[in-house]
Amino acid sequence: MMTDTAVRKRHTGPVQSKKPVAVKEEEDLKKVNAANTSFRLLLEFEQTHLTVSPFRQANTLRASKEQTYAQLTVLFSVFRFDEVHFGKFLGHYLKRAYFFDVHPPLAKLTLTAAGKLIGYDGHFDFASIGDNYIENRVPHVFLRSVPATFGALCVPIVYLIMRDSGYNYLTCLFTTTMYLFDNALVGQSRLILLDSQLIFYMLCTIYSYVRFSKARHQEFSAEWYTWLLATGVSMAMTLSVKMVGLFIVAAVGLATISDLWNLMDVRRGLELTHVAKHFYARAVALIVIPTFVYLFWFWIHFSILDTSGPGDNFMSAAFQATLKGNPLTEQAIKIYYNDSITIQHRDTENFLFSWDKTYPLRYDDGRISSKGYQVSANSDANDEGNIWQVLQTGDEITGQLTAVRHGDIIQLRHVKTDRLLMTHDVASPLLPTNTEFTTAEEGDEEKYEDTLFELRFDVLDLGRQWQSQMIHFQLIHVPTGVSMFSQTKKWPEWGGYKHDLNGNKKIIDRANRWIVKDVIGREPGEDKNEDESKVDSMSFLQKFLELQSKMLSENNKLVAEHPYMSAPISWLVPTKGISYWHSPVSKSQIYLSGNVVGWVLGLACIAIYCGIGLADIVAQRRGFDLIDEPVRRRFQYSGGFLALLYALHYLPFYVMGRALFLHHYLPAVTILYMLMGAVFEFMFIDGTTSPASSLVRNESEMKNHKPKVAPHITTMRSVLTKTSYIAAAVIVIAQIGFFIWMVPLTYGTSMSSEMVKLHQIFGWELHFGKGTFLFKWPPLSHNTC
Amino acid sequence: MSEKQKEESIKTKITSAHDYRAYFRQALDASKRQPFTDFQIATFVTVIAGIVRLYKIWEPTSVVFDEVHFGKFAGKYINHTYFFDVHPPLAKMLIAGVGSVAGYDGLFDFNNIGDDYLAPAVPYVPMRLFCGILGVFTIPMSYITVKASGHSTAAALVAASLVCFENGFVANNRLILLDSPLLFFISFTIMAWMKFSDPRLQPFSFQWKMWLFLTGIGLGCSISSKWVGLFTVATVGCSTIKGLWDIWGDLSVSPTGFGRHFINRVLYLIIVPILIYIFAFGVHFTALPLSGDGDTHMSPAFQQTLKGNEAPATRADVAYNSVISIRHLKTNGGYLHSHASRYETGSERKLNGDVIVDVPLLTSRKEQQITLYSFRDDNNLWKILKGGEDRVENPDELEWVKNGDIVRLQHVSTSPIMLHSHDHRPPVTEEEYHNEVSGYGFKDYEGDANDYWRVEIVDHSSSSPAAGERLQALRSTFRLIHINEGCALFSHSVKLPKWAFEQQEVTCIKGGTIPRTQWYIEQNDHPLLNETAEMVSYENPGFFKKFLELNKVMWTSNAGLVDSHPYDSRPPSWPILQRGISMWSQNEKQIYLLGNPLIYWGSTWAIFSYLIVRGVLILRQQRGYSDKIGIVGRYFQDSIGFYVAGWTFHFLPFLLMGRQLFLHHYMPALYFGILGFAAVFDLLTQKFRPTKKILATVALIALIVGVFVVYAPITYGTTWTRDDCLRSKVMDKWDYSCDTYLDRNPLKSSVTEAPSFHPQEESAPLGVISANDGEKPETPMQPTPSAPMDEHSGEFGDEEDADDEWYRLNRPADPEEDEDEDDEDEEDDEEEEEGEE
Repeated sequence: MMTDTAVRKRHTGPVQSKKPVAVKEEEDLKKVNAANTSFRLLLEFEQTHLTVSPFRQANTLRASKEQTYAQLTVLFSVFRFDEVHFGKFLGHYLKRAYFFDVHPPLAKLTLTAAGKLIGYDGHFDFASIGDNYIENRVPHVFLRSVPATFGALCVPIVYLIMRDSGYNYLTCLFTTTMYLFDNALVGQSRLILLDSQLIFYMLCTIYSYVRFSKARHQEFSAEWYTWLLATGVSMAMTLSVKMVGLFIVAAVGLATISDLWNLMDVRRGLELTHVAKHFYARAVALIVIPTFVYLFWFWIHFSILDTSGPGDNFMSAAFQATLKGNPLTEQAIKIYYNDSITIQHRDTENFLFSWDKTYPLRYDDGRISSKGYQVSANSDANDEGNIWQVLQTGDEITGQLTAVRHGDIIQLRHVKTDRLLMTHDVASPLLPTNTEFTTAEEGDEEKYEDTLFELRFDVLDLGRQWQSQMIHFQLIHVPTGVSMFSQTKKWPEWGGYKHDLNGNKKIIDRANRWIVKDVIGREPGEDKNEDESKVDSMSFLQKFLELQSKMLSENNKLVAEHPYMSAPISWLVPTKGISYWHSPVSKSQIYLSGNVVGWVLGLACIAIYCGIGLADIVAQRRGFDLIDEPVRRRFQYSGGFLALLYALHYLPFYVMGRALFLHHYLPAVTILYMLMGAVFEFMFIDGTTSPASSLVRNESEMKNHKPKVAPHITTMRSVLTKTSYIAAAVIVIAQIGFFIWMVPLTYGTSMSSEMVKLHQIFGWELHFGKGTFLFKWPPLSHNTC
Repeated sequence: MSEKQKEESIKTKITSAHDYRAYFRQALDASKRQPFTDFQIATFVTVIAGIVRLYKIWEPTSVVFDEVHFGKFAGKYINHTYFFDVHPPLAKMLIAGVGSVAGYDGLFDFNNIGDDYLAPAVPYVPMRLFCGILGVFTIPMSYITVKASGHSTAAALVAASLVCFENGFVANNRLILLDSPLLFFISFTIMAWMKFSDPRLQPFSFQWKMWLFLTGIGLGCSISSKWVGLFTVATVGCSTIKGLWDIWGDLSVSPTGFGRHFINRVLYLIIVPILIYIFAFGVHFTALPLSGDGDTHMSPAFQQTLKGNEAPATRADVAYNSVISIRHLKTNGGYLHSHASRYETGSERKLNGDVIVDVPLLTSRKEQQITLYSFRDDNNLWKILKGGEDRVENPDELEWVKNGDIVRLQHVSTSPIMLHSHDHRPPVTEEEYHNEVSGYGFKDYEGDANDYWRVEIVDHSSSSPAAGERLQALRSTFRLIHINEGCALFSHSVKLPKWAFEQQEVTCIKGGTIPRTQWYIEQNDHPLLNETAEMVSYENPGFFKKFLELNKVMWTSNAGLVDSHPYDSRPPSWPILQRGISMWSQNEKQIYLLGNPLIYWGSTWAIFSYLIVRGVLILRQQRGYSDKIGIVGRYFQDSIGFYVAGWTFHFLPFLLMGRQLFLHHYMPALYFGILGFAAVFDLLTQKFRPTKKILATVALIALIVGVFVVYAPITYGTTWTRDDCLRSKVMDKWDYSCDTYLDRNPLKSSVTEAPSFHPQEESAPLGVISANDGEKPETPMQPTPSAPMDEHSGEFGDEEDADDEWYRLNRPADPEEDEDEDDEDEEDDEEEEEGEE
């Protein structure tokens, strides 16, 4: 249950809850003697890239003293750390409390389902594990096995993809072994993170698409439809795990377009209606159905999370009103004309304020002011100068209670000085580009127009009545179109060190948003007699669109620097890993970094692939035909698809503004290993098995048309030589050798400091080695372990 | 010879259907039969352009828009003081050269928009003339370019007059800005490239080589003026690759022949531009030998090459009790610094990146500030003392500071303050793995264990192996590890608040060893070190090191220009000319950078219709339809295709840029758009009889001149009437202020029917301010550097918010405004029709 104060803290916005949380956190951390640096670092890491900070604050609000001790315990039982974080997601799902995360819900739902399966029936409050943690530790191990299982399943799929693409079994085995022994992929899938599920669904998509292409000669057969549909569904599942799934969507999209383009080729002899049929089948299976699958998970997400929770603040007031027990609806007071209110700036939490001091005629820089009364932003919440009365404008002023709504033109009367808020074409004291706010005497005809302001709500709240707390609004000056704006900068002595306030010409600015804090003389709940149900409804689609745009915008805001973030260029050779966890007691640590052998070979394979491809095209232009046609086709189409996938999973990171980490490269690495297989077959195996797919056409199609040009069919078998075996053996042994050498860092087993030193290749920043910090750990009593 | 006959004769002459070049040749030869030579026509358009572009170039007599920067930079060159700018130096140096010849002494500082030129006698007219004349030359060059690509004289004239009467070009190119040299070089490059691509040229002939060389020169000058030139390089580069691909596929050219083609292009199109670019920087460094306000952007080694900034040689070996200054390696923040001011409670912290909140700083113990300070100062001096509980001090002996030693650092000028850290969050960076670093200590107090730091040498100069074992000034790079917290002394480019004089924050970071924890000693002195002790000084970076460093800094600063500006805009708004830039406004006059809307919309229309038609044709081809576009089609496809590619290369990259962008960034793309428009015009009028073609050309040019004249007052900054101004606002977001102008209608209606109110009509000083002279009521507003946007019309900004659609629907009707729009719409339709002809 949430206490009253908690409720109050929460609804006023993410910013305000900051203070108490900070105190709490500070105290807690002091109590444990600030020892668990590593843990905090880790938690920080998890939270910066998986959630956004206000969520974290809301979480830590609950972090009691006991919990912090529990976290300490976690510290010393390997791999437990992220469960604290993920436990919160599960806990929210199970308690049905609304939370916000930048990733789509599928992976978390899967974890929740797994949790539910083995008895997390909601009685167990995950968010305050505390003393019960140890008793309930078994489910954690089970939960950890969920992503690990997904990770393990990836291995056979890689084999199947290669086999069905028509590669020799040696190539398939080679690829699969290389993939299996990659430290980064192993390490990442052993932790409760989303990546193993992401890679699993991505591989499913690739496999389905390969099977679909194999069935291309049996068009519109059951098999053809099955794999087409499977492609669409698994594509949607990938996207439902992380937005990175968009890359696979792009890849499948491009492949489909090129496929359709070839079908349209007049030499294929297909009727336009026939091509249209192809088009519609793909449109339904690859666009319509995936959309529904994607939406379905969000529908589940919203159905489960129907109660107010830590994610409230991210959403619009209209959205929050749909959540059960949301504090906004409980606290909000409806505003009518002639109410007296205080207006608070949303970000700085200062209040719109005026007094009888005037602006100095001349500022230090020589500009002059209107010498009107000052209007500024006041940090003192209890100042009487913060109170403003909402006045109605226009002809239809009535004595009755009239609700204030979006788009209304209002005047604000400053109660203490009995003057009207206005702004005009005079530069403000600090920002010469912005207009000065001041007040005008009531009844001053000349200034009447300048006292008119238009009330403009956030898009989603348009239809609602103006209410305190809930509704973010802008105050737009009618004659000049500027928006009331405030910032943290303070005015000098003449302004009583109040905060700057002025009219901003840039209407789209976060700092233009205000809320009504209090309605003087009225209490929340007075309106309750009105026949308005407590929980509003909102259509699923609206909710989805709001959440989706919020996810994208919050994702782009993850720009805070982090010691372990890395640039995409540094991923090619794993010169910089991520330290996930370390324990000074057992001298063990988990350090995420790739298998250098595999990654460097992969880089070489890209170079070889591009080199050979380019050389072949250039040679062909001069009339040289150096490669057997079936080998070329395999190299161009199968290899090309893999190269495209790799490019799409890697290059877009270069234009991304957000903080990036090594694990963002893992889907691309997965594809890289398959590309390595393709290049391996080209280099070390004579010929290729071709064609890979059955060429028997279904009868209906045979009847319908005869291709004008017979498809270019050449059969060929791949032949293994001694070189093939030797090459495969050498590379695989190197890969496994490196894997084993790196095992202590991947599984987090204990290492001596000599071993650590030995492992510091490429400047990997390992703990307990020379040249890194020697942490001075305070003595720990054993009862916490 | 009539057009038809001409075409007939061409057709008979072409034997091979694939050789569309024959048509090209024919078209080029046809110009010989016209009454005037190309040279005469080009001269004629130059004269017209000169009048249009240089009209009243001395007006306004005060600083306009970014003249603030580029005028200032010219002054720096003249004074030889080092400055930093994100753009390469060539164009700036040219402007400075002109200024210097014209007698500019570099004293006027171009501080604010609107500063007067006349009183300080700044020779701004020659400087503007220089830019203006470069702008004038783009017009004959556009004529020649279109001609050289085989189009008719009519099309070339259309291109020239479009470039000439483009309000944006006119307004921008007559000011002291970099855009006009840039555009000059780009159009020069394209002209040379088109001349080079002339199929009549014999490969490897003198002319062929000359035009190739000139293309290279143009490319080099473009990238040396602004990095936008790289897009021109990409355009020409792709065209080159396509050309080489064709030659490679032509089996009649031997591999050696291809090799010669290849080598020539590499030499002239890659080597020559690179040499020019490097040369420009060479001149830049030579011209700026003195220390100036650009120093702080550069590394210490760079800085000490500037006069007035030389670092004196210092003693190499660091011993206990040495007085040292410690410098941060990876940022240019400077020296570890402290001063007698304390951290403040109630300080400001950043949250969520953009939200700034007041939070009482729970962690602050109000200890002395530790910052990074970029200038040499006595407050940068620290005495290095022994640390650790079990230390044995022997003050009379020299004892080297070794790797792994535990030390304390005592601030010399506020002694006994020691460098100190503890488990509190720093003032700005709130992350939990950062600790505050402060100066702590008072009289007769030994200090505590939180003053202990361990020296860890990370790297050392290869010339001195000893520097790896013990600290040596300049040679050892080291970290300072806080013993109790296990954190490393760290700094990053985060500024402290005002109360700490906005110096750079210093913290102690835990975990993650990152480069920004590295420090080195710049100055070192010890009383016991005698005269013979080894001295050490910075290695002098060679030209190439300086060149690379400056380019790297330019790149990061360029990407870092993310502040928002009232007149910045995003690329998608450019092709439709959604909004302009207010560049200057004073005394009921203003200059507002707004393009000729007809040209903007026309060129965008031409590009997109080309793309659509092309797409449809490709699709039809795939389905086996032959459209018989034949020779003429292929020829137009190549020419328009090149211009559209140029437009794309100069426009699309901006979509990916996160930095602050303005409308004038679209100008190079617009130039290509205009050339594309002219080519499309030629294609559409291809079948016209000569008289009809001439008529169409004249009508189009007249229309463009007409529109140009409408917007001329805000282009030149001349007087206008308020009614005309209001009528000219076709788009809502064109926010030039009509209230500036006299002859205003006092009863202009507004949203409500309340009596109208105009701030200007009030008695001074209300509503009247000016930068220097606020009490003159006739100067309505002061223009400020960032945004001279000072007046608002009723329409301004209403449509900017996300709910604008809703707002638009619900806004009370404004009869007068609607009328205005209607008028414009009509005019507009006419224009459109003509354009599509």
